[in-house]
Parts: sequence; C-alpha cells; structure tokens
Amino acid sequence: MKGDMHIARSSDKEILEKAEHGGAVTSLLKFALEGKRVDAVLAVKARDGDRYDGIPVLITNPEEIIETTGSLHCTSPNIARFLTEYLDGASNLKIAVVVKPCDAKAIIELAKRTQINLDNLLLIGLNCTGTLPSAKAKTMMKEEFEVDPTDVVAEDIEDNKLTIRLNDGTEKEKGLAELEGRGYGRRENCRRCETNIPVMADIACGKWGATDKKTTFIEVCSEKGADFISAAIEAGHITVEQPSSDAIETRKKKDEAARELAQQWQEKDFASFKEMSADERFNYWFDQFSHCIKCYGCRDACPICYCKDCYLEADRGLVAAGEVPPSIMFPMIRATHVMDSCVNCGQCQDVCPMELPLSRLIFMLNRELAGIFNYEPGMDINALPPLRTVTDAELAVEGVELTL
Amino acid sequence: MSIEYVPTICPYCSCGCGIHLVVKDGRIIGQEPWKEHPVNEGSNCPKGKNAYHYIYSKDRLKMPLVRKNGELQETSWEEALDLVASKLKEATPEDFGFIASCRSSNEDAYVMQKFTRVVVGTNNVEYCGRLCHSPAATALIPAMGSGAMQTSQPEIELADCFFLAGVNINETFPMVMRRVLRAKARGAKVIYTDPRKTATARYLADIHLQLRSGTDAALIDAMMRIILDEGLEDKEFIASKTAGFDELRDSLSKVDLKEAEKITGVPLEKIREAAITYAKAERGCILYDQGISQHYVGTDNVRNHANLALLCGHAGKPGSGINSMRGQINGEGGGDMGCLCVFYPGFKRVDEESAKFFEEAWGVTNLPTKPGFTYIDMLYKCPYLYIVGADPMMVVPDVNNLKKALEKANFIVVQDIFPTEISKLAHVVLPAATWVEREATHTWIDRRVQKINKVVDPPGEAKPDWWIICQLAERMGYKDKFNFTSSGDIFEEVRSCVPQYKGITYERLAKTIGGIHWPCPAEDHPGTPTMFLEKFGTPDGLGHFQAVEYKPPAEVPDEEYPYFLTTGRSIFHYHTGAMTRRTPKLNDEISQGFVEVNPEDANKVGVKDKDVVTLKTRRGSIEAEAKVTDEVPPGLLFVPLHFPDSCANVLTISALDPSAKCAETKVCAANMEVKR
Repeated sequence: MKGDMHIARSSDKEILEKAEHGGAVTSLLKFALEGKRVDAVLAVKARDGDRYDGIPVLITNPEEIIETTGSLHCTSPNIARFLTEYLDGASNLKIAVVVKPCDAKAIIELAKRTQINLDNLLLIGLNCTGTLPSAKAKTMMKEEFEVDPTDVVAEDIEDNKLTIRLNDGTEKEKGLAELEGRGYGRRENCRRCETNIPVMADIACGKWGATDKKTTFIEVCSEKGADFISAAIEAGHITVEQPSSDAIETRKKKDEAARELAQQWQEKDFASFKEMSADERFNYWFDQFSHCIKCYGCRDACPICYCKDCYLEADRGLVAAGEVPPSIMFPMIRATHVMDSCVNCGQCQDVCPMELPLSRLIFMLNRELAGIFNYEPGMDINALPPLRTVTDAELAVEGVELTL
Repeated sequence: MSIEYVPTICPYCSCGCGIHLVVKDGRIIGQEPWKEHPVNEGSNCPKGKNAYHYIYSKDRLKMPLVRKNGELQETSWEEALDLVASKLKEATPEDFGFIASCRSSNEDAYVMQKFTRVVVGTNNVEYCGRLCHSPAATALIPAMGSGAMQTSQPEIELADCFFLAGVNINETFPMVMRRVLRAKARGAKVIYTDPRKTATARYLADIHLQLRSGTDAALIDAMMRIILDEGLEDKEFIASKTAGFDELRDSLSKVDLKEAEKITGVPLEKIREAAITYAKAERGCILYDQGISQHYVGTDNVRNHANLALLCGHAGKPGSGINSMRGQINGEGGGDMGCLCVFYPGFKRVDEESAKFFEEAWGVTNLPTKPGFTYIDMLYKCPYLYIVGADPMMVVPDVNNLKKALEKANFIVVQDIFPTEISKLAHVVLPAATWVEREATHTWIDRRVQKINKVVDPPGEAKPDWWIICQLAERMGYKDKFNFTSSGDIFEEVRSCVPQYKGITYERLAKTIGGIHWPCPAEDHPGTPTMFLEKFGTPDGLGHFQAVEYKPPAEVPDEEYPYFLTTGRSIFHYHTGAMTRRTPKLNDEISQGFVEVNPEDANKVGVKDKDVVTLKTRRGSIEAEAKVTDEVPPGLLFVPLHFPDSCANVLTISALDPSAKCAETKVCAANMEVKR
C-alpha cells in the first residue's frame, strides 16, 4: 500500500547485469508491457548510444526496454511536452512514464489543466539530484576530466560529487561545488531543486537506502503504485525485501543533505535579485528582456504554458507583431500566467537563445507565491493553482466578484 | 506507432544550428531542441524554431514544367530534360551562363560547376555569393590569404572588443549575438556601425557609430589615423607579420579628421572612442556583412577593415580577425566548390595551371582557362541561362531593367523548390528536392562542414539538384564523367580534388556533432577552427595593408530624390522570403513590405504610420506600408528585400564594384509620397 518501502532487485539475470542499481525499474517497465498493464512505455534513451542526447522513446516491445537501462545525467529532454504535443496527453493510450521529480510535477500540473489524462498514466519516478546541460557537459569532460566525452559510459552524482566511469573501467571524480564554481556541473535549476524523491509519482525509485549496487530502493507513493508493485512481484519480475530502519534513515539523511544544499543554491540564485531596489530591478529586467528575439522557445518548453491558442502569438494582436525585441508584455504576461505553478524544470532557460535567467526569475516568483498561497506546484492533483482558483473565503471578501 | 527525434541542421542561415525533427510515419510533425549541438545548444531563432514548415507548402514544385503557348505545363522528366539538353547543345560556351544556388549542397554545387566547365566548356558559372561576399575574396585574399570567416563561432566568445561593421546581428545572426552577450558579461565592448538605430544599436552596442550611408571607408580611415596619432598601433605585429605599412601610413597622413567627421556624420569624439577601444583591446573581433560589402566600393570597404585589424594586431588569434558573415546554408560551400567564374574548386584561380590540374583530376581535356562572366553580367549577356535556387528578379539591382534583358533570352531554365519571380520568365522549370529530402553536406559560416541526412522524400517528381544536372550531362554525352549514383560518390570526388576537404568524410561527419572546420587536410586532422595561427595564407605568409581612397556613394540625394534609400532584412524573414512567407508563424509577424520612415520626415510630407506610400528612384517605383520609427535617422528610408509586391531592387542602383562585381544595393537616392 501507499507508503510501503522495498529493497528490490530484478529477477532477470541480463537486466541485473546491465543495470546500475538492481535493475528494478527496467524489470518493472518490462512487466508493465508484458503484463499488459499499459499500452506503451515512455522512457529516455541515448540516441544512437549518445549519452548527451537523451531522447524520449515510446516503447511497445518489452524486449526493447533494456536499451533504456541506466541513467543519463548529461541530458534534459522535455518529457511533459512530449506527452502533450505528440501523444495527445495520453488521452487514449495507457502509458508507463519514467519521470524525474520535475517531469512528474510538470505532468501533474498539466493534468490539473486537463491537458494530460493522469488516469492513463503510471508514473515510475526516479530519484534525482540533477542533470547536466548536454553541450557544456561535453566541454566539461574534455576540459575538467580530460577525457573524450564519448568514452564516458556512466555518470553518478552522490554527496555533492560527480563521478564518471569510462569504457575502460576507470573512474574519475570531481567535487560538484568546484565544478559549479567554474561554470560546469548541473543545470542551474537542478542545483536549487529541493525535490529529489518523486513522491508525487506512483512509485519512487533510487539508490538511496539501497543495500548495494545490485538493489533498488522503492517507495510506493500511491494505491495505483501499490497494485502495480504487488502484481510485478507476483509475476516474478522483481524480488523485494524489507529495508532496515538504518536504510530508511540513510535515505532520509541523504535527502535532507541534498535539500539543504539546494536551499543554499536557491538563496544564492535569488540573492542578487532580492538585493536590488525596485528601480534597479526594473532596469535589470528591461535590459534582460531587450535581448529577447521572440523565438517562443520558453513558451513552447514550459509545461505550464499549455494554451493551444496562445495569447502571445503574432495573429492575436496583443503583442505587436513583427517587433524584436517584443514588447515587455511578452515575457511579463508569460511570467504572470505561469508563476503560481512553476515546477522549476528549467526547460525555458535551457532553450533561451540569449540565456535570459527565466527559470531563475519565475521560480523565484513562485517561491514567493508558494508562501502566500501555501501551494506547492506538482505535488497534489487535487490542489488547484491559486491564480485561477477562487476560494469561498476570497468570494466572501467585499468587492470580489466572479464572472463566468 | 513510432515517433522519432531525428537530428539535423536548420535550413536557414549560415550559423548551422542543430534541431531535432520529430518524425512520425515518414512525416515531420514537429521539432524539438537539440541541446547537444555546439553552435546553439538547444536554442533557436524564430526561423530556426519554424524550420521545416516550408517543405510542406502546397506551392512546392512537384513536376517538371515546360512553357507551351505562354503557359508552364506539367511534363515528364524525359521530355523536360530532352528539351533542355537539345537547347543547351545549341549554345556556344560564351552564350551560356549557370547561376548556382547558395542553398544547394556541396555535392550539388560541385556537380554544377563541373557541368558548366566540362559539358558546356565555359567558366560562366557563378552563385549568389557574388552578390554579397565577393568583396571578401577580392579584398581579403590579397590581405590575408582567404575570404572565409577566420575564427569559429564558439571562439567569438573570447574577444574583448567587437567591431560589428554593417551587420545587425540582433536580427540577422542571433546565434552570434548569443556569443557576443557572453563576452559582454565578461566585460567585452561592442562597437557597431550602421546608419540605422537597429536593435543591435539600441540593446547590444556600447558605441553606435551611426554613419551616413556609404561612408565606411572614411570612418575607418579616421579611426586608423587616430590610432596612429595615439601610438596605439601594434608595432610588433606590424613589424613581424605585415607588409605595406609605410604606404598605409602615408595614405593616412592625408586624412583630415574634421573632414571625416563631416563626411561620416559621426562626432569625432565617438570615432575616437571607438578607435581607442578597439586598438587597446586584447583581442578585437571584426564581424562584418552587407552593410559594408554591398557597395560599389565594397572591396575598398573590406580592405580598409582588414587594414584596421592588421594595424591593431587583431588577427591570427582565436576570437579575432576580420570575419565575413555569410548568410546562407551554403554560402561558404558554394564558393569552396568553385561556383565562381574566377575560381575552380578549392579556390584555384581560373588559369591554365588550374585547368590542367582539373583536366587530370576529371580525366578530360580542354577545360576553359579564361575567367567567365560574373553573375549580373551573365544575366545581361548570356542568351542561355540555367538558374538554380536563386531569384535574380528579386536580388539583382534595377530589376525592371533586368527584366527587359531576360525577356529577350533564348532559353532560361529555372530549377527550384517554389515558383519564383524568375520562374515567371523561364522556359523550363524543374522541381528540386530541398534540405532533408536528400543526403548532403553543407558548409556553414565558420567553414564548418556538417552533414544533412535524408529524412523524408521530396514531393511529387522533385529530385536532388545534382541528379538533375547529371541527367543532363548524360544526355549531352558525358555520362562517364557524371557517373554518380549518390551524393557520397560526389563527396569522394570533392575530397580528391579540393585539399581543404580532403580529411573530411561522411563517416567522420556522422560521428562529429557540430561538424568539421576546413582546412582539414587529413583524416586524422581535427579541422581548423581558427585560421592563420602561425602565419597568413598569403604567398609570403604576411598580412598585407592595402590603402584605399574614400569614394562617396554612386548616387546621393538631390532635390528630386531627397532621401537616402537602404535595404536590408527582418529577423522573421529570410532573403527573398520564398521559404518564410510560406511559414505561417513567421509570415504572421510581417506579411507585407514596409518602409521605415523617420518621424520628422513623415511629418514633413504628411505620412502617417501604416499609410501606403510610393517610393520612387530613377530606376522605378514600388508601394510599401510606412513604418514611422526613429530606427532610421532623418533623410534615410529602409526597405526590406523579402516581398515581391514591394520589391526593393526595383529601386536600387546597378553600380558595381569594379573587382568584386557586387552591387550598391545599400545606398541610392529616392523620393517618397503618400499614395493618394
């Protein structure tokens, strides 16, 4: 049932061999297909073996699942977008989706906006303490680790260190703080992300609390997840043990440590903005947005930006067409519309041609609103976004009207 | 149901940005960022974000067309090619002219020039690079040994001072602006020359030298004079790495700074500030484009900017140099492959020696040894014209006059992907495959060769450009010299006779994301991001100063035509607009021609924003919607070149640079009145 924790291991020798941590996730995905619990699995695969280009793949053949085993840290595909843009929000397809916490949060926010049919999804969550930006990661491998990026076969982030394993078996390790101080390391939003364990998914899987490298720690996060795990065990795909209280404690401590680091990064990231006077902030943001070239990259990437008929398009007449930079209303409208629900996925900032600090701005605003409205985006399907929800208490305030 | 992310490179400008196409059941249904690509790292400009839509336009040419009774009618490849072959057999070599495309692949371009030289026997082969970056060749080959971009896009970030000469990178090279912004964050300064106060001027430049149109050479002279007066020239560099300094210094001694201020319209303190900033920089980087190139003094302008770079030692280092910014997906490659009347492939000058080299390489005899006609000359002088992926009726100055000449042509073949203005005058129109409809290599702005893989089939009967040319060659008796069954075959031949490409293979390109920069002389050579690190590519290895004499524009305003007129681009459209006008999200931004008018000027003649005005020059007149803005100073009008219904080149003057043969499309005299 929800809340159960397991130390799990794949029952398949081949998967156990290939997997990084027990292969439970791979086996579960295989089971999801073989046991006809879903029509397809949505996972991430290294395109042509390229670890820096993880692309979403929709798999219907259980034999192909093993190709997605392992974690790709140097890539950040937009899974929520793939679901809405190319799979019609899972409207008529049952899909098991492999999700990091940000992916899961994005999916849940989209489900709140009826863009994704959550009932059709089985969210297989993976613990995450961050991914690295693809192009920069390759440079990092060359400059910092002094290896050919294509020789890297695995990466691991643990205790604020990045370890890479090469195809000849050797390992190299560097401190993340050191790397990140030099402009390398994780994506900016990842560094400040406090959600390492995806409890908002149906199950949360990871290495924290696992006994050794041949096991996966699984936390059951929903009844759907509980059913699924029981069935998988029954069908003989994974074996499970009870985790020791030490294991659970270790996992808790790791999570806390990671969260503390994330909070420090949050403070650091937002400090310069918070220190500015109102005038300074105006000047700063007008200056930043003067570089916008209206590529709509941020709008396309953002999971909260879901409108099919976007207000900011050239033919809507709101933002003057044909102008670069576009009116400041372009980024301002986007920010105000999404800031109550920003999940800090960083996809917007990843794709901005002028590297505007979009995620930093909008997530900072979100943290303010989270405090004011007591609303955490992406955690609970039943908690509705504050900026589009009117509470009874609010309606009772004098002068407040609701026109539908 | 398979949905695949397929990586490719954007089909538009010369930056070479990676994108993922989303392909389902053999059709492109979307596109997503390709974050791994070193040029753009997952970002794209508006055109790059809407890269693929044009290939599915209903306007795509799908069938060969032959004009019968004044109308273009569909026919078979057999009939069309037989007709073209028979017609071409009529032509004497001097009567035939081939205009190749800046958008065809290297393989296509190579086959086109080989056809013209082997089958027809003439050097009358050109490509649209003639119209824009011919001064790079005429000025920079003598100055430094090559007209190609000298450093690479990633290395641009290393510069601490940018000199953006006549290039509105905010709109025309956003990916380069990304690099400049990174450098600015580390303290780099940006100097920008442009008569207009564009977005680049307002938001990127630290020093905007808002000079009068066509006065660039005078401005640079003034800057160099100031640098010498201040003793800020790089004496060591000049002594050890250059030649001709004495002549330059003599020439500059005659510069009158007060006069320069008057000529350019730029306050002397600003010129001084720019000069000192550039000279004092560690690593100055000149990025230049049509603002200085498309003049009848284009060669002189580029010469003078090269002088400036050499004077300050800002060349031969990563992130430095004088960098010509090509604008097309194969602006560099088309020239590399020899689609120029004065160059065989690999920039071997047309002469007996080169002809001999290629006679051996190709197993032929009697290759032409004399330079052919340049692009514009060709159109006026050759009654038999073969035009691929180019629209002279939109891009050549004084289009009305050109039309009269073309209407008298014996036979015009147009090979393209859409009907164009020139195809209206063609006798035969052949449908070509584009971009991801064929396997090909292209060479982007920093000599970056990348491979485009085939993702979808071309529509209808459309075929790759090279295939069509090979079919013609066969019909004209040269099958054995054009026995290519794939673009791979062609590339192997390119490698064998173009030394700069020798070490590049399809296999290496498949494994190298971001491509390989030429020169790449061997298969284990990593490529050359920055040129001239040891010495320049001139015969003596030195950089050569070439003093120039300032000449005012060919046509300046007078009473009858009181405004300067200049032409240029918008970020949302691409060149003649054939692709972008057919891309809804881009066309929705700007869907018709416009003219930028300064508010003072607008007031004087009673023009309000959005009024339709008639623009007239001594060549012709067009209508356009007025955009009243201070982006243009009083006395200057700006018209983009993207719209056939407001064709800027109806107005422009056909004054040609005597050596480069590019035209003065950036300045002429015009008048304007409200259309009643």
